[in-house]
Amino acid sequence: MKVGPALRDVAIAVFALIVVLAIPLLHRSPAFEDFVIRLSAMALFATSLNLLVGNTGMVSFGHGMFYGFGAYAFALMMQMTDVSLPIAAVLAVLITTFAALCVGAICVRLGTDYFAFITLAVQMLFYSIIISWQSLTGGDQGLRGGIPRREIFGFELASQLHLYQFCAVVTVLGLLTLRHISVSPFGQTLRMIRDNEHRASFLGIVLWRARLFAFTVAGAFAGLGGVLAALFVSGAYPELADWPNSGQAIFAVMLGGISSFLGPVLGATILLALNDVVTRFTEYHGLVLGSVILAFALGFRRGVLDFIRLAWPGRLR
Amino acid sequence: MKLEIRNLTKAFGGLRAIDDVSLAFSSGSLSAIIGPNGAGKSTFFNLICGAFPADAGQVLLDDQDIIRLSKTERMRLGIGRAFQVASCFPTMTVAENLMAAVTAHVGQWSSISRRFPPPGIRERAGEVMELVGLTHVANVEAAILSHGDQKLLDIAIALALEPKVLLLDEPTAGMGPEERWRMIERVRALWGQRKLTLVFIEHDMDIVFQVASTIRVLCYGRVLAEGTPDEIRNNRAVIDSYLGTEVHAA
Amino acid sequence: MDIDALGACLTTPACVVTQTTSGLIVGMLLFLVAAGVTLIFGVLKIVNFAHGTFYMLGGYVAYTALGATDSYALAVLSGALSMALFGVVFERALISRVYGSNVLMQLLVCYAVVLIFDDLVKIVWGPEFHAMGMPPAFQVPPLFIAGGVVPPFYAVLIGIAGLIAIVLGLGLSMTRLGKTVRAAAINPQMVSVLGVNTTLLFAIVFAVGGGLAGLAGALAAPVRSLSPGMGFSVLIESFIVTVIGGMGSITGALVSALLIGLVRGFGTIGFPQFTDGLIYVVMIAILLLRPQGLFGRST
Repeated sequence: MKVGPALRDVAIAVFALIVVLAIPLLHRSPAFEDFVIRLSAMALFATSLNLLVGNTGMVSFGHGMFYGFGAYAFALMMQMTDVSLPIAAVLAVLITTFAALCVGAICVRLGTDYFAFITLAVQMLFYSIIISWQSLTGGDQGLRGGIPRREIFGFELASQLHLYQFCAVVTVLGLLTLRHISVSPFGQTLRMIRDNEHRASFLGIVLWRARLFAFTVAGAFAGLGGVLAALFVSGAYPELADWPNSGQAIFAVMLGGISSFLGPVLGATILLALNDVVTRFTEYHGLVLGSVILAFALGFRRGVLDFIRLAWPGRLR
Repeated sequence: MKLEIRNLTKAFGGLRAIDDVSLAFSSGSLSAIIGPNGAGKSTFFNLICGAFPADAGQVLLDDQDIIRLSKTERMRLGIGRAFQVASCFPTMTVAENLMAAVTAHVGQWSSISRRFPPPGIRERAGEVMELVGLTHVANVEAAILSHGDQKLLDIAIALALEPKVLLLDEPTAGMGPEERWRMIERVRALWGQRKLTLVFIEHDMDIVFQVASTIRVLCYGRVLAEGTPDEIRNNRAVIDSYLGTEVHAA
Repeated sequence: MDIDALGACLTTPACVVTQTTSGLIVGMLLFLVAAGVTLIFGVLKIVNFAHGTFYMLGGYVAYTALGATDSYALAVLSGALSMALFGVVFERALISRVYGSNVLMQLLVCYAVVLIFDDLVKIVWGPEFHAMGMPPAFQVPPLFIAGGVVPPFYAVLIGIAGLIAIVLGLGLSMTRLGKTVRAAAINPQMVSVLGVNTTLLFAIVFAVGGGLAGLAGALAAPVRSLSPGMGFSVLIESFIVTVIGGMGSITGALVSALLIGLVRGFGTIGFPQFTDGLIYVVMIAILLLRPQGLFGRST
């Protein structure tokens, strides 16, 4: 039986969603549900970053800015206006998308040589605005006071189980959309730019436009991840937009593998689990994390899924 | 399609890489450009396809001046090129390379409404693959192709854009003697099948004199001579400055 | 925002002198760090995200050395030399393994080093802030210039950094090594074709870069406090300096470091809440007007 590849992706997504949703029905574990909720935000964040890093070859060190932007936009809208949660979430993602478009318009034209520099600097600008605009953002204390009206279509997101289900559905849908983009002609164009931008430009591809579009899409999905993060922490904190967060996302991408679509999701899972375990045993968690990163970067030189693909060169994507 | 160049000039700093060059390539012709290293041959191609702007002069495609157009616009009008160092997309298979090129050619490179490849693209890429004889390596990644196949793939990518004028920058560079002949026979076959106006840069004089119907000699950015192989072979200036004793011996 | 205060300051000689001096301090220290970043990028095309770590370690080493020897001169020297050595070790042991691989690997290696050394500093010196305090030799009454207060240490610090800038500039334009470095920045292939020992060249560049950052850390220790993670804000600012000045340009690094220093010096008066942000705004403005930076070559 020959199944179309698009159908296969949907089938995998539906299957994964059913498994994730079924687990709490069989066995309730607050720690596990908590983990999945955090993972959902991180998975969207890392996978969207990989659209830039893996697909297009643009190493952004400032992607956390859009994660933070989504979180603040959503939390502020919930606290300061009366709009319902789904509308606030959609608006937050739209505003983040626009922000990514503006930032991208500056960054992608400035040569790829120091793209990482520029994106990092813009992120730090955003971070310093959060810290200094205390009346709006609460400064370094973050946005407290929680997120009111936590309900969507009758679901009460204040309940951990419902939040778990909501995050799972949003993340699977988000990943499916990103997957669709990465296997579209546009996704192929991004790969051409990564491989050989000179040749690509001779095929009529407008490099800056393609890069800007990729940057904007990636920012949008990072913003969506930020919305989930805001729901989880019940507010928004400057750490969400700080540089170590961008570093974590890059590491997640690299850990899982940049040439596989699900690599960043796996990387995020490993990284979160590692963080949880390490913080339980030592306060020097940077030391452990740094050593693991060094081992991966210098030893394996590629992420887990890329490694597997190399060992079994089937057409696993 | 006829390609005509009038008074083309380009200087880098003080150096005139192309100095008041005028040349015409009639529709459906097969011409070679020869000349010593640094004669400005690659620069000449770059100016025709619009990789960087010329300082002065005109490039006429069927009498339409295209000198102000971008390289994308020139490509759409029918100018295609392959590179001296094979230029393709190394992590993609041969088939993906060509499908991506065709997709870009039909203006769908920014589409996200469907999966890659869009309908009909696979077939068109298959035709090009058949034409250059790469079908047997369709699912091989470009990075691990042989050198000759990479050069062919580069040409195939150019052909996927359905050019009327094809510029080949040293199609046989880096190949052994036998492989060179296979390559150039294939190029000649493509030229015949696609009714192309084909211009190629070549260093192997045996190939040039046997294959090309007309030859242009560039030297220090200027046209030193042009004519049929016989005329060039006996041209005093060309022998003195470029061919040297090589041809006398032959 | 407090434009009135800024206006009042600009019309008072004393305030101008004080703020200019503190701006020059910031700028000169920044120049020392950024010079290394821009050198390393110019020659190796590597964005050294671990450069702030050199600065931090230089400060801590000087702190310990001062405690052990009671000589600030020795402390500064040990900070600079140990970081020059550290730079070479870092280049040989780690960075040289990721030459030619993609930026992501280089970034990760540097990121790992930052994480590891921030924690090592916590383990060795503790997580709390340390103050080195003003060395005894400089505990003398301040100078007064046009009514503005200038501690003698500031004058010495500016002098040392200025001297380094001159030596670095002359070294790059006059010596054989300097010319090689500049040639490498323009055309890396050519240098290896010319038979330059690139392994040695790269090690030297990292030694100089590391040494300058260590020196900056040691010089900054008396006027700033030491804490784990202190390297990062310096790193970001030196990136900004490098980008504004133009990648690979020492002159650019000096000019833009002083510019950033002065923006900081006077920004604290006019925009006390938003001094950091002001610098990013300056950067983005300059990049929009001149994407290759003030002294960068356009490509």
